[in-house]
Amino acid sequence: MISKDFTIKNKMGLHMRPAQQFVTAMGKYASDITIKCGEKSVNAKSIMLLMSACIKCGSDITVICDGPDEAAMMAEAASMIESGFGEE
Amino acid sequence: MLQGIGASQGYGIGKAVIIEDVTLDYSAVRYAGAEEEKARLARAVEAFTAETNEMIASLKQSAGEKEAEILEGHLTMLADPFMLSQMNDLIDGGAVAESAADTVCTMFYDMFAGVEDEMMRQRASDVKDVKDSLLRILLGVRTVDIGALPAGTVLVAKDLTPSMTSRIRKENVAAIITEVGGVTSHSAILARAMGIPAALSVKDATTILADGEEVIVDGFKGKVFPRPSEKEAEEYREKQAAYLKEKEGLKSFFGKATVTRSGAVKHVYGNIGKAEDAQNVLQNGGEGIGLFRTEFLFMDRDHAPTEEEQFEAYATVARLMAGKEVIIRTLDVGGDKAIDYLAIDKEENPFLGHRAIRYCLDNPELYKVQLRALLRASAVGNIKIMLPLVTTVEEVVAAKAMLKECMDELKAEGAAFREAPVGVMIETPSAALISDLLAKEAAFFSIGTNDLTGYTMAVDRGNAKVSHLYKAEQPAVLRAIEMTIKNAKAAGIMVGMCGEAAADPNLIPKLVEWGLDEFSVTPSSILQTRKNICECE
Repeated sequence: MISKDFTIKNKMGLHMRPAQQFVTAMGKYASDITIKCGEKSVNAKSIMLLMSACIKCGSDITVICDGPDEAAMMAEAASMIESGFGEE
Repeated sequence: MLQGIGASQGYGIGKAVIIEDVTLDYSAVRYAGAEEEKARLARAVEAFTAETNEMIASLKQSAGEKEAEILEGHLTMLADPFMLSQMNDLIDGGAVAESAADTVCTMFYDMFAGVEDEMMRQRASDVKDVKDSLLRILLGVRTVDIGALPAGTVLVAKDLTPSMTSRIRKENVAAIITEVGGVTSHSAILARAMGIPAALSVKDATTILADGEEVIVDGFKGKVFPRPSEKEAEEYREKQAAYLKEKEGLKSFFGKATVTRSGAVKHVYGNIGKAEDAQNVLQNGGEGIGLFRTEFLFMDRDHAPTEEEQFEAYATVARLMAGKEVIIRTLDVGGDKAIDYLAIDKEENPFLGHRAIRYCLDNPELYKVQLRALLRASAVGNIKIMLPLVTTVEEVVAAKAMLKECMDELKAEGAAFREAPVGVMIETPSAALISDLLAKEAAFFSIGTNDLTGYTMAVDRGNAKVSHLYKAEQPAVLRAIEMTIKNAKAAGIMVGMCGEAAADPNLIPKLVEWGLDEFSVTPSSILQTRKNICECE
């Protein structure tokens, strides 16, 4: 299991479009992925749960990957979050 | 005649088609075993996906990408493996497919609806739409095929859902009538986007009107005439012809610069009350937003909007206007407006009382939240801040000092922001009389003629016995306007007008002559105002 902290950079936060991109990308991996934001902790392969966490610009989150391909999964998750999901 | 809210301009004459509310009651459905229920659910999801994809394709043609995105979101939601597995778990536990879909969607609906965030609440209504579609498919309920209505149809419904509006063909729908919704509802926005006249919030429309009956809709005034007399029909056919002719003539002013005969360049902006209305300004050819009233953000709720919520609203408008000027007026409240949580005392004379800038400067904990949100939103667009009901130079200085404090805080926090120019709304005789002094502190003026007329003439426009005195053409009001424009010109600052007088064809030549730079009007008056200005010397 590996975990890493991030701060959400894109202005609109994790709204529908980035959440959709993220969930689709993470779905390719066998490992589980959990995102913690404040008191909430959600399965980040589910767009509904991810959106319900209401992750905004400036939110501090912890990403936890657990499984056989956790390293590759974390690398892709990190690059998506750090690039602001290709948004401003 | 039935009275509703005019939500999309124009006149529509046609035959009513009533869209009945279907009941999605599944209490009579019997459990057919886990395998069969799961198979039913899977088939329903498949049918929903096919149906939605078809709607997305037709919506992209009729209304645009933005509207299609809403339905693409519906597909994404239902493709969520977690949602489906939750539903299947419920089926394993003995639930019928309908109940499983209902329970899981309702759970997410409650989750989203409970969040204080406009975007999340929109998701809540999306989940509800998905749930209703699934139940409709599972129960095999037939609905009117909105995509196949005959030409000249007046659509009558309790409310229109995005999936319903997506199938509307504008060439066949003469008008829309609904029983709920206001000017900013989804139905209203779509009706305007498609240019279909609409009257919303027409009480009991689906029961008073019957299928196939002749009906007239006045989308300006929100009036509906069921079974019109020949005289009424004739009157509205004439109005409709005149309106269409005028609209055609105004089209040539869309996307055109506002230049007078002698070559003076002016600007026509739009006034808005909600972030969504900015779209309307662009669709009507507005060159910017001259007045964004922020009170609406604070109304109909139990606590003040957070900095994030306000930021989102201001940034949405700034982004949409893409570099065009957006003048945002800070909170204009007082004892006459019901915002319970602000605990403004009931006053003997609310119009002369603790209101607008006076109230805000005394409540920095409230005002600074708005100023911070405005500064942050300025980083994404061309925002200017406007102070309402200014009567002294000190008020402007104090507001600017508070803004400076906010900038220092944001800088220390490392937040993105931009210093926004601060202007003054000239809507009191005192402001007009000291406009030369105010011009030294203000980056721009905007003349609010509605209050300026009331305060100058000392008249309550709502009082029928004195309302005849309420006229912007009164010499006293005109002098105040002229003085303000001249003082702005002398100081070299921009001067605009955001009251109703800016769209008054009788006043426009005078305003142009005095040198007014910017005319901010109701979005629907933008093209007419531009035409009137272009015809001035």
